[in-house]
Amino acid sequence: MSDLGVIIEHMFEREGSLAMTPGAALAIDTTSAASREERLSRARAALAGVESRIGAAREGWDRPVLPLASDLAPLLPDGLRRGQVVAVSGATSLMLALAAEASRAGSWTAVVGMPAVGVVAAARRGIELDRLALIPHPGAQAAQAVGACVDGMDLVLLGQGLALSEADRRRVASRARERGGVIIAAGDWTGAHVRLDVERSSWSGLGSGEGRLRERELTVAVSGRRQGGVRRVRVLLDTDPGLRWSRSGARVDEEVA
Amino acid sequence: MSETAPARQTSGPVETTRRAVLWVPDWPVVAAMAEASVRVDAPAAVLHGRGLIAVSAAARAAGVRRGMRRRLAQRACPEVVVLAHDEGRDARAFESVAAAAEEVVSGVEISRPGLLMIPAAGAARFHGSEEALAEALVTAVAEVAGYESSVGMADGLLAAVLAARSSTMVKPGGSADFLAEAPVEVLALAAMERRQREQVEDLVGVLGRLGLRTLADVTALPAGDVLARFGPVGMWAHRTATGQDVRPPVLRRSEEDIAVSYAFEEPAQRVEQLALVAAHVAGLLDAALLDAGVRCGRVRIAATTERGDTLERVWRTDVGSRAGAFARHMADRVRWQLEGWLSGTAAGPERAPLTSLTVTAEDVVPLGAEQAYLWGGVSGADSRAQRTLERVQGLLGADAVLAVREQGGRSPRDRVLALPWGQEVPPARRIEHPWPGRIPDPAPATVLPMPEPLEVLDAGGAPVRIDRRLAMSAPPTWVRLQADPHDQRAAAARRHPSSGKMGRADEGPAWGLPQPVEAWAGPWPIAERWWSEDASRRACLQIALRRPDGSPGQALLASFTGGSWVLEAVYD
Repeated sequence: MSDLGVIIEHMFEREGSLAMTPGAALAIDTTSAASREERLSRARAALAGVESRIGAAREGWDRPVLPLASDLAPLLPDGLRRGQVVAVSGATSLMLALAAEASRAGSWTAVVGMPAVGVVAAARRGIELDRLALIPHPGAQAAQAVGACVDGMDLVLLGQGLALSEADRRRVASRARERGGVIIAAGDWTGAHVRLDVERSSWSGLGSGEGRLRERELTVAVSGRRQGGVRRVRVLLDTDPGLRWSRSGARVDEEVA
Repeated sequence: MSETAPARQTSGPVETTRRAVLWVPDWPVVAAMAEASVRVDAPAAVLHGRGLIAVSAAARAAGVRRGMRRRLAQRACPEVVVLAHDEGRDARAFESVAAAAEEVVSGVEISRPGLLMIPAAGAARFHGSEEALAEALVTAVAEVAGYESSVGMADGLLAAVLAARSSTMVKPGGSADFLAEAPVEVLALAAMERRQREQVEDLVGVLGRLGLRTLADVTALPAGDVLARFGPVGMWAHRTATGQDVRPPVLRRSEEDIAVSYAFEEPAQRVEQLALVAAHVAGLLDAALLDAGVRCGRVRIAATTERGDTLERVWRTDVGSRAGAFARHMADRVRWQLEGWLSGTAAGPERAPLTSLTVTAEDVVPLGAEQAYLWGGVSGADSRAQRTLERVQGLLGADAVLAVREQGGRSPRDRVLALPWGQEVPPARRIEHPWPGRIPDPAPATVLPMPEPLEVLDAGGAPVRIDRRLAMSAPPTWVRLQADPHDQRAAAARRHPSSGKMGRADEGPAWGLPQPVEAWAGPWPIAERWWSEDASRRACLQIALRRPDGSPGQALLASFTGGSWVLEAVYD
């Protein structure tokens, strides 16, 4: 039932996104002279009618959320919903940061197929190491191992080089939906609920031979199944209050040089 | 004294227990001298922070006092040996005293290193009289452990501690009179933890300034007023000063480890054979634990080879919570442990047929001493996650699932201790140590398990070098990373004759395009373990790269060692 609701919603979304492009808007305008708002409200009413008839409420998909750090909230306005697949590309630390708050609140985390994950970085981001298990090389049995982890753990972080076919991925995602776990996958994942692509990551704090890496700003392109276009969000991942205090001085140095 | 104070009514004091207290004078310095093999009659003192915290008898005779600075002590007694403070050592060494006392009585409480508390009533009856018990205790500690001690007996905690200092036997019911004339400073002797002692010392200072000199002055105050003015600490002091107990002694009863072993008639070589025996031995251990009414927290599996080597590992397991499944669970552990060793992948003694297998239950506690939550195992999610990980271990092997801990170290790779899930090993490097030269936070999110080669070039394209005095030959301007193996263009460039690799295409790494350096910091030297064979000397650089379109690129941690550069970690 809820699947039907999602499909209908998607049809509506597609129509909505078509309406954004000028050509399509023209095409529709020729058939009906109604304004965009009017058409939207009409479509919403139709959807609500269908939902009330077949009982597929939009809330059916809305599962309880896992806690998420407040400065990452702009990335996932709906929160880290249970049963979701979040595909992250371009930043391992963003994956760790997404998992951190839930881990601190008592969730178990499995990291599969990421032999190079920085454990100290994970601990500094707030992941509880007592509740963290690493499975660095699942090899040919990746599908079984990931399936087992999704069954028993709340958060599963998947690396890029896993031997998972498209069918395996669909199966794992539906298992996560059923069990209420969250999959945070590195790289591409067809059918992910949310995609976070890190387009730009700039560090500050380094000079020429002096300083150290201190503060990082990420520009993340957020796209997803439930939204039409792409949003771009800026996130400060490592903040260093001391740096901001000293930054004006550094700028003066540059001008002198 | 008002007997109707509300605090009395809500939590009445525990009835006083007749106790014997065994006191080893100046324990910290006695333990330190024993460890440092200083002669017993030599003047010695233990220094903590800026002051001495314990002084030996010889040093005291020479005029050294507690609380003195080192320099003052050395002026009073130039030959005084100043030893370092170590709480762990004090507690460890005191175990032998406790064990000696346990030969005489059945249960003791270690109140703090240096002080043993023993409920006297039953033991005195057994030994005939209280004097006989005291004599037996002093003799046992002197003969078995080799330390001089004194024993005192009284009702209540503070009276017993004071009695031990003067080796007196206070008559039953005489504690209040015995304490009445004592100065208020003795209250600190009854405080066992450091935090509590600090609070009590503060309180004693206040009482002194208020003109209360003896414990009788304190007990003369109404209990309710003491609670209102001084809070729980004051209430504790008031109650202790009247000779009452705050809590009964908590006895430690050491449970013996339970071991079950199996000797092979013919030395075993195959894992299947061993796994069968393991299941059998585990069944025996399970039965033995059940008979003794205990459960264990850890299991040590030891296999002895024909050559006499022992292969030993400790697994943390909760036998109590897995009732019937223990045998199968243990058989898996034994199989994992021996498979790696027999196949030669895991480190260990030389391969040889096994002659015996021993499974020992450690951390033994009586059944019911630990309790899980009312519903669902240790807690629902925790036991589910544990089961999941064990299932994955069964699928992929024990070493495929890792538990990680942070440990001390300088480079990001050294700061992680990864172990097969469920296995216990103490960390090799303490995290509290200072680790000078550690790479500063934030920590990199990608730490390569094996460092990869990397080229750091100067503006002219020549490799940057760092000499022994940390001088760089030129500032780094370009960085060449290894090419992605899927990168067709890099592979083609490598095959091209101009790469100079004609005919030997698999030699050396395939380099990607040089990328410009945006900013860098360093070099930071890391010289480790110069005294040993695994000495390493490195210099680290943090490098931020720039993409061809001018936007910021990756940030790297590179290190220079032995004339070449390697990529240690990526800040991605």
